[in-house]
Amino acid sequence: MPVFYGVEIASPLMLGTAQYPSPAIMAEAFHRSGAGVATVSVRREAAGGDGGAFWDMIEGLGVPVLPNTAGCHSVREAVTTAHMARELFGTDWIKLEVIGHEDTLQPDPFGLIEAARILCEDGFRVFPYMTEDGILAGRLLEAGCEVLMPWGAPIGTGRGLNNLYGLRTLRAQFPGVPMVIDAGLGMPSHAAQAMELGFDAVLLNTAVAKAGAPAAMAEGFARALEAGRLAHEADPMEPRDMAAPSTPVLGLAELE
Amino acid sequence: MNIDATILGAGVAGLSVAAELSARGARVRLIDPEGAPGPLACSWWAAGMLAPLCEGETAEEPVVRLGREAAAWWQAAGAAVTQAGTLVVALDRDRGELDRFARRTGGHETLDRAGVGALEPELPDRFASALHFASEAHMDPRAALETLQRTLAARGVRIERATPPQGQIIDCRGLAARDRLPGLRGVRGEMAILRAPGVGINRTVRLLHPRHPLYIVPRGDGIYMLGATQIESEGRGPASLRSVVELLNAAYALHPGLAEAQVLEIGADARPAFADNLPRIVRQEDRIHVNGLFRHGYLLAPALARMTADWVLEGNTSEFLQ
Amino acid sequence: MRITVNGESSQIAAEKLAAALDELGYGAARVATAVNGEFVPAAMRADHALCEGDRLEILAPRQGG
Repeated sequence: MPVFYGVEIASPLMLGTAQYPSPAIMAEAFHRSGAGVATVSVRREAAGGDGGAFWDMIEGLGVPVLPNTAGCHSVREAVTTAHMARELFGTDWIKLEVIGHEDTLQPDPFGLIEAARILCEDGFRVFPYMTEDGILAGRLLEAGCEVLMPWGAPIGTGRGLNNLYGLRTLRAQFPGVPMVIDAGLGMPSHAAQAMELGFDAVLLNTAVAKAGAPAAMAEGFARALEAGRLAHEADPMEPRDMAAPSTPVLGLAELE
Repeated sequence: MNIDATILGAGVAGLSVAAELSARGARVRLIDPEGAPGPLACSWWAAGMLAPLCEGETAEEPVVRLGREAAAWWQAAGAAVTQAGTLVVALDRDRGELDRFARRTGGHETLDRAGVGALEPELPDRFASALHFASEAHMDPRAALETLQRTLAARGVRIERATPPQGQIIDCRGLAARDRLPGLRGVRGEMAILRAPGVGINRTVRLLHPRHPLYIVPRGDGIYMLGATQIESEGRGPASLRSVVELLNAAYALHPGLAEAQVLEIGADARPAFADNLPRIVRQEDRIHVNGLFRHGYLLAPALARMTADWVLEGNTSEFLQ
Repeated sequence: MRITVNGESSQIAAEKLAAALDELGYGAARVATAVNGEFVPAAMRADHALCEGDRLEILAPRQGG
């Protein structure tokens, strides 16, 4: 199972906690899939409000939490949000999002590197949400990140692995670095494909939460991840152009 | 006079339970320290959609089934229910959302541009297709609460601010009862009321949108209620500028004529819900609770009132009784 | 003094952040705070002096993806 910053997690499925029809259905999705990490956020609280109910529910899931800096567009916002999340959730893990464009939600690579450097120096364990750019990956590792989270496709689109070639290249370029495909997955087959490519985990939310039966979809993802992981470890065959019969040719009867 | 039951809380749940019990011959007392329902009750901020089929997109099965009772109950109670159906639309870019909504709900027909235009002449330019849920209805929730109060007053039941309870206590206080109901949480909703006399929308319209889903409910005389957000927060404070801007922007995407609308009210409150977002009738030593109606207050209050009366008057159990 | 709390203008009597949180009704709520975009740890709230016009952000755990 994947190891992030020295912590082994129970499943390569990292699951978001937003957008479910009800908290009960969210909990069911976690239980049925055995998801290994729950992603969470921090948001404004009104006076008299009590984030305690949500916190109790998350603690009840019994999995490590990964707070995010979702919605932050600047380095300063992301760094401050990370500090607030660290205090609230009692973890130095942070899913670092520095969004570069409001429509595509594409990460801003320049801001990401700067925020990652500041946070790593401050003792955070940074999980950067990034594009599949190899140069960016190198800079994030230099900044102190020990896990990388390239996107599959823009957040919430469910389009799967948009740039297969780029992701394969990235995986090959940094073989020892734990990598999570974060965002853009829609179907379990996308998750299986990520694992077949040698990625260590996937992080998703919408594909499960917005399914008609979220718990069943979560389980589907968990099984696909297991299938993909086994396939990767089994050293798959190389595709080839020439058809080759699998049944022996020798001993074929002459019946013409 | 002997009192059979005392109802705590004069929101949509309390008033409906009081109306149902008294209609079936029970003598009831209704207590709410705030008096008649107003801005402090989350019932005040409701949309008044009686749309069980559409709710089926995300709600559990009982909401769809029991919600079907609502329109007839409210009509019988004297409320002005408009049976004009619900139109569900999506911008062309988001057509997939419409397909998904159609798969998860029943009782609809698919309309093309001409069909949309036949129902809502001001919309077809923007929407090439839509789903029509012809059996659904809407009403003005504040007017409906007033109607229940008048009906009760005619039966000699007034909302008292403080008086000793008698008989069976039925606690319908919503989030105020959370100290007695572990697991009850608040789910925030935000809404706006617009005056747009130049806009002619005749029925509830839901706009499916990946980021900013929206519904608009006509209240008559050019008044429209806009609703959208459902936030896992117990905050009851005013809506933020950002969420208001998003709400109004989405409204403008639905109908550009709404750009000229006057904003009459912006409201927000937290609705009581249990973890599965289904209501409960909970028996405790000294009372029973009717709570957790979530965003289905007007849709499920009739069924909950019936089940509560069945239990209190006849000892019959029901699916939400605990 | 007048400060901005989560984007809304607010009049408070308290001079320190911890007291302001009490005054604003946050009491023992599980929240994290930032003033003018800078994180203020819980342990520093008692000593953190607020100034006229400060922007206070009060955040709590929430659903996320």
